[in-house]
Amino acid sequence: MRWLIRRVLKKGKSSISYEDDIHFGDILTIGRAADQAIFLPDLRAALNHASITAIGRDKYRIESLIVAGIRVNGEITYAATVGAGAIIELGSTRLTLLDARGDFDAAVEVASIDKSEQAEIVSSRKKPTSLSQTWISKRWPSWLGFILVLAFGLLLPAATHVVPGLNTILHYSPFPSTAFWNPGEIDSAHQFFAKDCTRCHQQAFLMVRDKACTSCHVKTKAHADPALFNIPELGDARCGSCHQDHNGKRGMVSTDQRLCASCHADLKDRSKGASQLVDISDFGTAHPQFHVSLPGWDARDEFTPKSMPWSNALKENSGLKFNHLKHLDRDGLKTPDGLKILTCASCHQPDVSAAAMKPIAFETMCHDCHTLGFDTLAPEREVPHAKVEAVTYTLDEFYAKRALEGGYADARAPTIVQERRRPGSPPLSRQEQVEALAWARDRAREATRTLFTGKACVTCHTVNPPPAGENVWRVAPVRVSGIWYAKARFNHAKHQTQACVDCHEGAQKSEASNDLLIPGIDNCRECHAGAHAKGKVASTCIACHDYHRLPQLTLDKATGSTAVEAPPGEKTR
Amino acid sequence: MHDSILTYAKSRYLWIALGLCVVSIALYIWHDPGIAPNGGTWLGYTLGTVAALLIVWLLLFGIRKRSYSTTMGSTLGWLSAHVYLGTALILIALLHCGFQFGWNLHTLTLVLMLIVIFSGFFGVYTYLRYPTLMTRNRESATRDAMLDEIAEIDQNALSLADGIAPEIHAVVLRSIENTRLGGGVWTQLRARDGSDIAIARIKVAIEQRETQLGAPPPSMQAGQTILAMVDFLAGHADDKQSDAMRKLIDMLSRKRSLATRVARDIQYQAIMEIWLYIHVPLSVTLLAALTGHIISVFFYW
Repeated sequence: MRWLIRRVLKKGKSSISYEDDIHFGDILTIGRAADQAIFLPDLRAALNHASITAIGRDKYRIESLIVAGIRVNGEITYAATVGAGAIIELGSTRLTLLDARGDFDAAVEVASIDKSEQAEIVSSRKKPTSLSQTWISKRWPSWLGFILVLAFGLLLPAATHVVPGLNTILHYSPFPSTAFWNPGEIDSAHQFFAKDCTRCHQQAFLMVRDKACTSCHVKTKAHADPALFNIPELGDARCGSCHQDHNGKRGMVSTDQRLCASCHADLKDRSKGASQLVDISDFGTAHPQFHVSLPGWDARDEFTPKSMPWSNALKENSGLKFNHLKHLDRDGLKTPDGLKILTCASCHQPDVSAAAMKPIAFETMCHDCHTLGFDTLAPEREVPHAKVEAVTYTLDEFYAKRALEGGYADARAPTIVQERRRPGSPPLSRQEQVEALAWARDRAREATRTLFTGKACVTCHTVNPPPAGENVWRVAPVRVSGIWYAKARFNHAKHQTQACVDCHEGAQKSEASNDLLIPGIDNCRECHAGAHAKGKVASTCIACHDYHRLPQLTLDKATGSTAVEAPPGEKTR
Repeated sequence: MHDSILTYAKSRYLWIALGLCVVSIALYIWHDPGIAPNGGTWLGYTLGTVAALLIVWLLLFGIRKRSYSTTMGSTLGWLSAHVYLGTALILIALLHCGFQFGWNLHTLTLVLMLIVIFSGFFGVYTYLRYPTLMTRNRESATRDAMLDEIAEIDQNALSLADGIAPEIHAVVLRSIENTRLGGGVWTQLRARDGSDIAIARIKVAIEQRETQLGAPPPSMQAGQTILAMVDFLAGHADDKQSDAMRKLIDMLSRKRSLATRVARDIQYQAIMEIWLYIHVPLSVTLLAALTGHIISVFFYW
């Protein structure tokens, strides 16, 4: 086998010349020993460093003969099969394997590497010695992080505000939607549109407008009439100033008393006299005595309750006569059904809401003992507990029937009335009819008088005889307030742990029906105080009062131009 | 005594940061917003503004440390303030959000901020600990000087080995080829220069020899340099060769210790820098998150 060994000789800076040499043999040896085919006088080469075998046309096998290996194409190796063009570097020498040319079976070019190139190679093979030389960087991750967060955290969600439908698409995609901006869970009542921010946040960079709230909460009652008070001028009265969403499912009603006190602490001054409401800022320390609603009637007997400051001396003239002491006798009452011990609950029963008490009903509560019988000959018959006219009708009809049928066994009655008529008897003559009905009318009148003046009606009612020229007895109207504190909310159910007399103190000893048995503020303050209560129930304004309280003015109207005049009672407590 | 970043100006910024924390906590306790504390109350907005300004100011440190001609205080003072006020930021941001967290941009901002700050804590630790270790490791030489010495030893060792025997020359040659200082991120951080492995391999090989009493299988792996020499010494070396061999072994031991120190130097430097590759990119990311946080909050006010 013939090897072409071509040496590159550098002459000066640019000119080079070649010196060809022939080597016979299959193996080309490389090393520092004198017997090597390619002799390299370089300490970095071993005596017998490596061998190259031509194993085919343009195919060479390079083998290292020492443990240090040999650098082929830039990589240290111990044995490699390569084609033409492979480069072997050894110290300051570079061997390039060439394709076989002419009548040579194999060829190699031997060139020396100059010092500057050697230094370059060494430095290029150096591994990085500081982190800045490695692949990691501060710059591109900074840009990447900045752009990703800005794009997906801000721009994409913001784009949903101007691109309709994009938010819905994003909600079903792995990309962040405006939900990524949601600072907290939406209130449970708002959950069904929680994904659509614009339902409330209608305009970007503007706080939620009341308009957004009233688009649903149309019939929510207003607080005060905007025609009388400009609430926004008095204080922050945006819906959102009290109702903040994104605070979880626990609700959006703020119980903070400062929300009320911020206006009501000095409302007279603040409204420049437009409001005459007393200044209030704390239930425990700055709340006036309750104003209790007491029954009253105008000249036409129309129920017109009067509101006045609660005091011990107040009397509640309900028109009813009732003695609590007598009815709550601990030894019991003698009733047709035997001895019965009455309690508060015998008559005062909670209504369906359990918040208030049902009105007292004569039929179910009094009638067991207080029957309305009127005739000893017919003890099972009673007049209804109804209007005076209904009572007299009943009596008129009862006695007219008795008179015409006969058989009424009263010695004072005419014979024609006492006589029992049998079937087949001849009908009464005109004269007899007149006589019988005259008796009936008199008897009915007598019974009426007895009922209204004797033991029945007057037991509980104040009764006056009919005025001259009339025959309808006058029974004074009866009504307790029912709602004594109309501006506040009280819930009996929430106070079930207390005994009735804890609050309705005098009830057990009350002998007169006009005793006011409704407690005042001092009674409430025994357990309740304001927001900063110590050792008591902390009760803020909305524990008893509603903000949205004007029954006749809803938010849609209150925010519009329609002004509804508040009745006089709404101006002052 | 030389001021560290923690004791600069009698820890002036420590007291400023502590004062800021105390005032923030006092306000947080005193403030009763009526609802759960959150970023939307007046105190929430106040603390949020303070925190945002602090973040922007802390980011400016990256510019300040590059501006060498500034008259706005020393870099050491800035760094001291950077560390203490950055630490105070954890508390201020937590009070700002009222400890409310969620899967949203706002909590992402907080998390990014916390990662940045805690990576900074690691940085403070390295700046306090590693410069001393680095100086001690270098033994008043520089890394370049040590590298030059290694190169010189390589040359000398090669010519010495050539005078002994071809096989010794070959193993020294291989040792030179195998000496690789530095490398990828992980290699730099772990300070692996191969010498520890070499020693371990020698120990294993000696044990094998003692048990087998036969020639070792020719191995092309690293860590065989000294072993091969010991083998040669025990076998067929004359006195002259033995002297040269001992000299060569001394030389290579010196080289090994130098290489170890260079690797450790690279490691210390890498540890002192690696946290910045988290701290800096995430603080820039934090700036984007903070921008998004503020804009989004007022976008849907």
